[in-house]
Amino acid sequence: MPSAFRLDNVTRRYGSLRAVEEVSFEIKRGEQVALIGPSGSGKTTLIRLLNAMLSPDEGAIRVFDSDLDTCDAGELRRLRTTLATIPQHLGLVPTLTSIQNVILGQGGSRGTLRSLRDLLFPSRADALEIHTILDRVGIEEKLYTRVARLSGGQQQRVAIARALFQHPAALLADEPVSSVDPARARDTVKLLGELSAEHGFTLCVSLHDLALAREFFPRLIGMRKGRIVFDGAPDELGEEDQRALYDLSDEEMMADA
Amino acid sequence: MKADTGKYGLKRWVGAGLIVAFVLCARALGLTPGGLIPPDAGHWERTGAFFAAALDPAFDYEDENVPDEADPIWWKGIKGVFLTLKFAFGAMSLAVPTALVLGFLGSSAWWPEPCGRRARALLRSVYLVSRLFMSVIRSIHELIWALLFLSAMGVSPLAGMIALALPFSGTLGKVFSEIIDEEARDASQALKAIGHGPVQTFLVGILPRAMPNLVSYSFYRFECALRSSAVLGFVGIETIGLYIELSHEEFYYREVWTYLYLVIAMIVVVDLWGAAIRRRLHTSTGGCAI
Ligand SMILES: Nc1ncnc2c1ncn2[C@@H]1O[C@H](COP(=O)(O)OP(=O)(O)O)[C@@H](O)[C@H]1O
Ligand SMILES: [Mg+2]
Repeated sequence: MPSAFRLDNVTRRYGSLRAVEEVSFEIKRGEQVALIGPSGSGKTTLIRLLNAMLSPDEGAIRVFDSDLDTCDAGELRRLRTTLATIPQHLGLVPTLTSIQNVILGQGGSRGTLRSLRDLLFPSRADALEIHTILDRVGIEEKLYTRVARLSGGQQQRVAIARALFQHPAALLADEPVSSVDPARARDTVKLLGELSAEHGFTLCVSLHDLALAREFFPRLIGMRKGRIVFDGAPDELGEEDQRALYDLSDEEMMADA
Repeated sequence: MKADTGKYGLKRWVGAGLIVAFVLCARALGLTPGGLIPPDAGHWERTGAFFAAALDPAFDYEDENVPDEADPIWWKGIKGVFLTLKFAFGAMSLAVPTALVLGFLGSSAWWPEPCGRRARALLRSVYLVSRLFMSVIRSIHELIWALLFLSAMGVSPLAGMIALALPFSGTLGKVFSEIIDEEARDASQALKAIGHGPVQTFLVGILPRAMPNLVSYSFYRFECALRSSAVLGFVGIETIGLYIELSHEEFYYREVWTYLYLVIAMIVVVDLWGAAIRRRLHTSTGGCAI
């Protein structure tokens, strides 16, 4: 399989802080990967590097067939239309309805005027497709409900639907289940895996919850302080690795308190 | 605790400083409590007459020379209220679109990401120029703008409207840009991440997100514009303020009070209406608006 994402010695700093440091890995097309690690370990930064919202200070990133550092703004935008991203706080427009939010999933490829028209007068074909997608993610009755009126779990489904309507080649999700209860979190992670298998898109999800990651993902990439400390299958993740990932040093305990 | 006394100590110092500053200013301006008392019998009489007229507003003109076929005073007052409303509405129709453009230029949530060094420098200077422009036009009061425009263009409703619209565009634009940058970051980042362009992000993500608060704040400013347009009557623009000024000049205090009561009624009605609109907007966004 050709690669979907390929990082070579990527470093990204914020001032003097190295949020991501000398990271290299490859994710193949169609692969399902969980990014794990404590908060502050660089998962969000890494995801924003993968969708080209941030550029690396050092190293090279290749996404599908493009080298990010040779892309101009237009090429980056075109590339992003093929990468669906679900940010940690979902990034929905709460004053718009579900169908309006989902239809914006294709805004990147359709352009400004078409998007405005889509918001006001969605086409029949789009409405039908979106209805099918919402049905698949389990909230078809919320098509015309404003997102602000939906529960956290339902909003999450709208964000997933927006990603699906994009017909993406890869889906990046940043801690998609950090704000819902454990039962719902499990359903959502499971759903993401199933959708990736059904549609064949590459899936990369950052997760706080190690148990969930182990249950649903064939590959885990573990981060700690911006570095990769584990990369392998769940059953290769031993006691030692877990300690390297999650055990706080005294210094970090102090910082956390 | 030590840190606490430090904090409250500072507050006490600031409080004491403010009182000292007030006393110094009052002395410099020659203020005494006696300044509130009218200096001689003539002034006493006029003050008394003015407040007595509050209980006895005019239902007919006090002026003998008003022709019989003229509108009755209450009708003239109501027309004046509508002129004031029309004037404030006209000024706001100029100010809101201007403020939207200025607010767009003076905000950063829609900037492309990543943003090259040169693009960033350009956007940053547009941002600063627009912020500066907004603070300049709003730091000059509408009355002063009115005097400038009236002397340049003559007394015309359009000159007055522009005079009112200018500082209002500045204030609205500043608040708009803050609403845009504070509320819409999440949604705009998400849309940019899936390939939306900057202007597109603004139109389909940021504007809908910020709309309830933009509308609600515009409505609040409309109430301010109403009061201001009444005041602009004093420099000759035909609003209810002009009628108040003319009657006041002739010491027709009972007429003044008729007009004042109409102004108060107008403000109360618009306030209630505005409050109802704000309540609706805020519940319908599920509490995500401020
Ligand atoms: N915009 C930023 N400015 C400065 N520091 C940041 C910024 N974003 C993240 N960081 C820092 O980079 C490190 C990694 O953050 P992040 O990628 O958000 O980790 P995670 O998503 O795993 O919690 C943290 O120490 C965080 O404080
Ligand atoms: Mg994070």
